[in-house]
Amino acid sequence: MSNSIFRTKGLTKVYRSGAQEVHALRGVDFRAARGEFIVILGPSGSGKSTFLNIVGGLDTATAGEAWFGDHQLTALDERGLTQYRRDHVGFVFQFYNLVPSLTARENVALVTEIARHPMSPDDALALVGLTDRRDHFPAQLSGGEQQRVAIARAIAKNPEVLLCDEPTGALDSATGIKVLEALAEVNRSVGATTLVITHNAAIREIADRVLRFADGRIVEETTNATKKSPAEVSW
Amino acid sequence: MVISPLRRKVLRDLRRLWAQVLAIALVLAAGVATLILGNGAYSSLHETRARYYDDYRFADVFADVTRAPRALLGDIREIDNVLAAEARIAKLALLDLPTMAEPGTLFMVSLPENADRGLNLLHLRLGRLPDPQSAHEMVVSEGFAAAHRLHLGARLAVLMNGQRRELVVTGIALSPEFIYALGPGEMMPDPRRFGIAWLPRPALEAAFDLEGAFSNVVLKLAPGASVDRAIEALDRLTAPYGGSGAVAREDQISHAFLDAELKQLRAMVKVLPPIFLMVAAMLVNITLSRLITLEREQIGLLKAIGYSSRAIAQHYVEFVLAIAMLGIVIGVAAGSWLGAGLAQLYVRFFSFPFLIFTRDPQIYGLAAGFTVAAAVAGALFAVRVAVALPPAAAMSPPAPADYRARMAGLRRLFALRQTGVMVARHLFRWPLRTASGMFGVAMAVAILVASLWSFGSINHMIDVTFTRAERHDALVAFGAAEPARALFAARQMPGVLAAEPFRAVAARISHRALSRKLSIMGKPEAPVLSRVLAPDLRPMAMPEAGLILSEALAEALAVRPGDRVTVEFLEGARNTVTLPVSGLSLGYVGLGAAMEIAALNRAAGEGAVISGVALQIDETQQKAFYAAAKATPKTGFVAVTALTVARFKETLAENITVMITVYVGLAAIIAVGVVYNFSRIALSEQGRELASLRVLGFTRGEVSGILFGELATIVLLAQPFGWLFGYVIAFGMVQAFSSDLYRVPFVIGPEVYVTASLVVCAAALASAWAIRGRINSLDMVEVLKTRE
Repeated sequence: MSNSIFRTKGLTKVYRSGAQEVHALRGVDFRAARGEFIVILGPSGSGKSTFLNIVGGLDTATAGEAWFGDHQLTALDERGLTQYRRDHVGFVFQFYNLVPSLTARENVALVTEIARHPMSPDDALALVGLTDRRDHFPAQLSGGEQQRVAIARAIAKNPEVLLCDEPTGALDSATGIKVLEALAEVNRSVGATTLVITHNAAIREIADRVLRFADGRIVEETTNATKKSPAEVSW
Repeated sequence: MVISPLRRKVLRDLRRLWAQVLAIALVLAAGVATLILGNGAYSSLHETRARYYDDYRFADVFADVTRAPRALLGDIREIDNVLAAEARIAKLALLDLPTMAEPGTLFMVSLPENADRGLNLLHLRLGRLPDPQSAHEMVVSEGFAAAHRLHLGARLAVLMNGQRRELVVTGIALSPEFIYALGPGEMMPDPRRFGIAWLPRPALEAAFDLEGAFSNVVLKLAPGASVDRAIEALDRLTAPYGGSGAVAREDQISHAFLDAELKQLRAMVKVLPPIFLMVAAMLVNITLSRLITLEREQIGLLKAIGYSSRAIAQHYVEFVLAIAMLGIVIGVAAGSWLGAGLAQLYVRFFSFPFLIFTRDPQIYGLAAGFTVAAAVAGALFAVRVAVALPPAAAMSPPAPADYRARMAGLRRLFALRQTGVMVARHLFRWPLRTASGMFGVAMAVAILVASLWSFGSINHMIDVTFTRAERHDALVAFGAAEPARALFAARQMPGVLAAEPFRAVAARISHRALSRKLSIMGKPEAPVLSRVLAPDLRPMAMPEAGLILSEALAEALAVRPGDRVTVEFLEGARNTVTLPVSGLSLGYVGLGAAMEIAALNRAAGEGAVISGVALQIDETQQKAFYAAAKATPKTGFVAVTALTVARFKETLAENITVMITVYVGLAAIIAVGVVYNFSRIALSEQGRELASLRVLGFTRGEVSGILFGELATIVLLAQPFGWLFGYVIAFGMVQAFSSDLYRVPFVIGPEVYVTASLVVCAAALASAWAIRGRINSLDMVEVLKTRE
């Protein structure tokens, strides 16, 4: 199945804290197609972040398999995972995590400098509509602007996948929508498979597919026949 | 006992931050230790010497005469303020030991008449004093006895006035006069080749043809009496009897060398502890500032629930005081331990009958006080921030660091990548902190530069003295001036390849109100074996008329070439002449004046006489030469250059390892303390950023590179400042040390800077290595979830 970029089979993660075992993932089977826009919903502790961390190469599984194309992520060591993140994955964090000592443009260039086939930082900023703010430092930008810089930084390497953990979590509705628009635009133009974790059920309508996590499993999967544009949703 | 919650927090903070706490405490400890060590050693040495001088009635004035009748002693005792005067016989004798081929000298001194009320009394270690009637019994100095494994009853052959005598050791003793027993023509004490022997006066009178006469007199003055006036009066009385001018205690060789040592300790106490305390204060400041930034919300909370600003300030001051206490405890322990070690070194090097290692509570109190003051001073600024925080503001997170400087120029200049820009902006964002980090590292380098340079300088001094100036293999000094033909006799000695005469005449050289007493050396017009060097190391020709003064002497007399000085000869006809200063020469030890030998004899009103010969010896015939030199009645003493140099290097080598270890250790403590604390703080501040970069695909190496790049920049930029500070400190030390006795050449070779920098960089690398694990285990997942 050449169209599928992510595959997981029986993905399991158990954390041990003291004598207690916490089952964060209890055998997740999942597939994502190239260019798909997937929204992952679920309450806190449902395992959605753990799932995103494992497929993003930030964490390792206890059991089961995760594949990215032909790479078995669950078989990679630390060095292999770093290379995987570097070459294929773009991340967007809830709290932007921009480097405060670098301007918007420099934050993007930080990634393009180490990427294999990057776009120019200016192009990436243009995609998120921040061309005129590119020489500002994070402290001089609004939350929404900072998050758009983070998106530009994530997509500037032309990643195959874009992983977003609560990208609108710290933003108000109007700003959040701008950020979502940027994400949708990027998904369209770059063709990156996009996984967005959110608490915000309203966002589900802009996805191709919606997964709901609960208790370490995918408990519900919906495919949107028609997806809305971010401008059409509100919360 | 209930421990209050805040105090419990202090204890937990200390435990949590133990590595940083220890690093700071060690820097403080180094300050305490050097303060205690330096002050302790200084006061120990000072006290010991004072007690020794007092108990053993060390004289205040010393004078040599050729031969004065004992009746003169009565007149000498009449001099104002003279409490006691003792006429002695003090003459050199040559050792004649089957076990020792090389020449050795014994300084023969007549015993005080009255073992209780005399001057320069002996401290008898072993055995008894010689029978006053015996001509064969003697007491020898402890170092000499030890070097030759002499036991009581041992027999020893010496050549006195050319006559061989066998003497029996009846006792082993120490004297305040020879704490530092330097043989004639030597640079370091060598107890094997130079010792002191005390004999009853009659025995020496007979041996040196001095019946009813004396060759040396020592005076004890009333406290507070003018030494200069006593010397003047004494010189007047002794002049007719070949008195070559009395010297005060401060110019007595043993005393002067001890003084130089004390001076060095004083300088150490002034330089080292302040450096450590300043660096420690800086470390306390940056570490506490960071802690307070991290605990902003806790401070706000504490204030919100009713803790007073004072209680909070007290909490952080307690934290700092705990670090200071730790530093004091370690420092006191290390200082006392090292102090005891140094005291042992003194006992070995200087001959004291006892050593008072003072444990002056004042010194400990002072050290503790300074340490606490430095720590609290470092804490004040940081604590003021905590106190000023309004609770509401404190509980919300701090505003993000505001960067504005773009530094486009810097960026273009170094073609920086983004990570490089991060490093540069971070360094410029907190210029004060960057500067203090550089200051700390620079001080570590400076300590090394300021201590290591001396070894190179000493080598330079040895090299210049013995390969360029004193190029002879041996020097034979006659007991008294001899006719010039003695030179031809010397040339006939076995193994002598070349011989060059020299003349030494005691004189007082004065210029206006300044004067110095020394021996003027007469040398051939173009000396080959014993040369005088110009400051640029060129050999100087001896001028037809006129004097060449060493730079130190010229400075002491405030004269320049062309000026005229008054020379008052203290021997022979005791002429007084004025001579032009025709040039200045280099001289490291003592004061020096030289002129052409015939001109000197003319000026002194003497015929063609010489005081000794400098010789070049065929190495294969060394033994034969030594034997012949010994057998010649004229010989006063023989100095062998190779042995002098070897002894000097040996002594130096004994101390060099200890000294280098100590200074490298001290510098490493600073370097580690600064770099480790800086890296922990940088990691604490930028951990989140760095973890984000790891998420973005930066490798561990790249991320470490950012943090270490910042530290490396600080460490590298600090190097030139370290060199500069070190240079300045070393220069100050040279100024402080230089005296009539020593003039250390100020030579700092590139190897000193390189070594200092390498040591400090190695220490920095080691401390960076220590936090590598923390960088590698940065929690990437946490970063995604939390706001700082």
